[in-house]
Amino acid sequence: MATADSISNISAPSTPRGPGLLVLLATMPPEQLEGVLASLTSFYPAEGLIVATADVVPTDSWPNIRIVPIPATAASWTLTAADFLNAYQLAGEHDAHAILVLGPGAASLRPSALRDLSNTVIDATTDLAIPCYDLPPRAGLVNSAILYPLTRALFASRARFPLAIDLGLSLRMAERLAIASQCSTAVNQGAALLWPTSEAAVAGFAINEFPVGRREIPQPAEPDINAILASVTGSLFADIDAKASFWQRPRQLPPVRYSPPQAASADAAPDIGPMLDAFHLAYANLQEIWSLVLPPNSLLGLKRLSATDAASFRMPDGLWARIVFDFLLAYRVRTINRGHLLGALIPLYLAWVASHFNITASGTDPQRHIEAVAATFEAEKPYLVSRWRWPDRFNP
Amino acid sequence: MQNVLAIMLQTIPDKTAQPVYIDNASIWRHMSDALHQSLYRVLTLLIAVLPGLLAFFVALTVFTLIGMAVSALLRRALTIAKFDDHLTRNRGNADWAPATSPTAIVARASFWAFVLLGLIIGVSAFDASYATAATLPISLLPYLTHAVGAIFLLIAGTLIARFLARSVLIGAVNAQLQYARFLSLGVKWLVLVLTAAMVLDHLEVGGVVVELAFGILFGGIVLTLSLAIGLGSRDLVSRSLESHVERTSEHSVVPPNSPANVPGDSVRHF
Repeated sequence: MATADSISNISAPSTPRGPGLLVLLATMPPEQLEGVLASLTSFYPAEGLIVATADVVPTDSWPNIRIVPIPATAASWTLTAADFLNAYQLAGEHDAHAILVLGPGAASLRPSALRDLSNTVIDATTDLAIPCYDLPPRAGLVNSAILYPLTRALFASRARFPLAIDLGLSLRMAERLAIASQCSTAVNQGAALLWPTSEAAVAGFAINEFPVGRREIPQPAEPDINAILASVTGSLFADIDAKASFWQRPRQLPPVRYSPPQAASADAAPDIGPMLDAFHLAYANLQEIWSLVLPPNSLLGLKRLSATDAASFRMPDGLWARIVFDFLLAYRVRTINRGHLLGALIPLYLAWVASHFNITASGTDPQRHIEAVAATFEAEKPYLVSRWRWPDRFNP
Repeated sequence: MQNVLAIMLQTIPDKTAQPVYIDNASIWRHMSDALHQSLYRVLTLLIAVLPGLLAFFVALTVFTLIGMAVSALLRRALTIAKFDDHLTRNRGNADWAPATSPTAIVARASFWAFVLLGLIIGVSAFDASYATAATLPISLLPYLTHAVGAIFLLIAGTLIARFLARSVLIGAVNAQLQYARFLSLGVKWLVLVLTAAMVLDHLEVGGVVVELAFGILFGGIVLTLSLAIGLGSRDLVSRSLESHVERTSEHSVVPPNSPANVPGDSVRHF
């Protein structure tokens, strides 16, 4: 949902604020747009709605809604820096006091989901309203393996989808994101990813997560996982690197408010053979590179793993957590070129996915396993902090 | 008769004693003179070169010290200005990232720039002082400057070879090519051979022989690879490519021909 014209200068929203809710919509077919507008007007007065969209909205159908046309751009599968910058700029121009950003495919969201995300920021009780999607058990695997556990362990946030594409933002949250976006858009990187959860955590803003049920999740246009995984993981690693002074201090994780429903798979377990082949091939060829990044303990763990047969293939959660932490450290100290580093992580991620499928095929609930992985990341955080502070002196 | 005999007796010993007379003192004097002259010439040459050498080392030392000071100052200033953070934020998640921090790179670059400047100035001073003081033509100096360029070429070539080898290795492994390591090694040695040829050419060693040898070697490697892939490994390559296509579809973000968001159980990484 990248919007094209990034604004170079952030102008402060004018005061006084109106009662408006700015809704920034991604491009979608007319019937879906109608559905979203109907959902929005079901809980919020049309007079107070400001809808910014690149699509044509029939004004006779929605005479009371203020429509703000924005330039149409190439669709993106997630929210980008330019979107956040435009959202804040538009909020300032139209005296909105809360912002709802809806990504591609938002028509599949229930009206109650839109209401929850909006109301909490309208009431000013929350700065960042983030959805918890109910995804199929074999979807969102990068999020489950890396994004969620890392965000939870380092930023003490239980947000299950740190890279959510629907967000409710208070004005101050939008301002903070716009400032962070400005750095990217100033160097023509408007398509860069931002991490609202970590921004809110660092700013000390209130984060609230809401279950929104099933949602049509847009997929990246790039069909190859290698490029996308490197891009997303690299962006998160860079964000963690930039916020090191925050997450090194121990923080209390907030209590559980909502747990995603258990999603047992009815289908047969997917074929993990190709993933294991990828791992074995990488084990045979990437030893030299892995040995620059991983300590002997992890290499030993991988050696044992490579000798395991497919049926009993299980990657220990602790091993996975340390692998991710070691790659994060290597990213920080630039042990090798960062492109090479993230490329070398891909076979290990595929090994984790194969292990996850094996574990869930044996009857373990996928959500429970993901929560266990996240908890292990939390438990292993001291290892990361130690190596982050003394990268050369602590290498077990 | 007695007179004749007396004359004969006089003349015979004269003939036998006259031919070679060796004066040892004179030989040693000549050798000593020659050695002294050689030593004199060597010393004269050294004395002529010494100021130039001194100028070279003084210039190198002074500029190295200046480089160290400037490097330390830059490092401190950039650290205070949080140059790394700003650059990281501005560049975002760029594909290319150096192995050291930008601050360290700037500091090191400034140091080595000063060292290089010192070298250039030192060599110029040496050249000027030698040219004015010596009568012998110098052939070593241009060779030295070429040697410096050749060293830079060698370092750059080695770094590029390593970078490309790793890139190819990781890319090939992620593309699940069984011959990833061979491909990586092939690329590495191609670049190294190219580098070696460039270095020798820069040093003007071997002349046409190097060019010919490089052409034959490089062309031979490429031809061998082409033949191996085109003929010898035809079946292997076709099987590998087929396997690659299947696995690409397996590892794509959304499997082809499957609805992206149905509640089914297709593997989706995002």
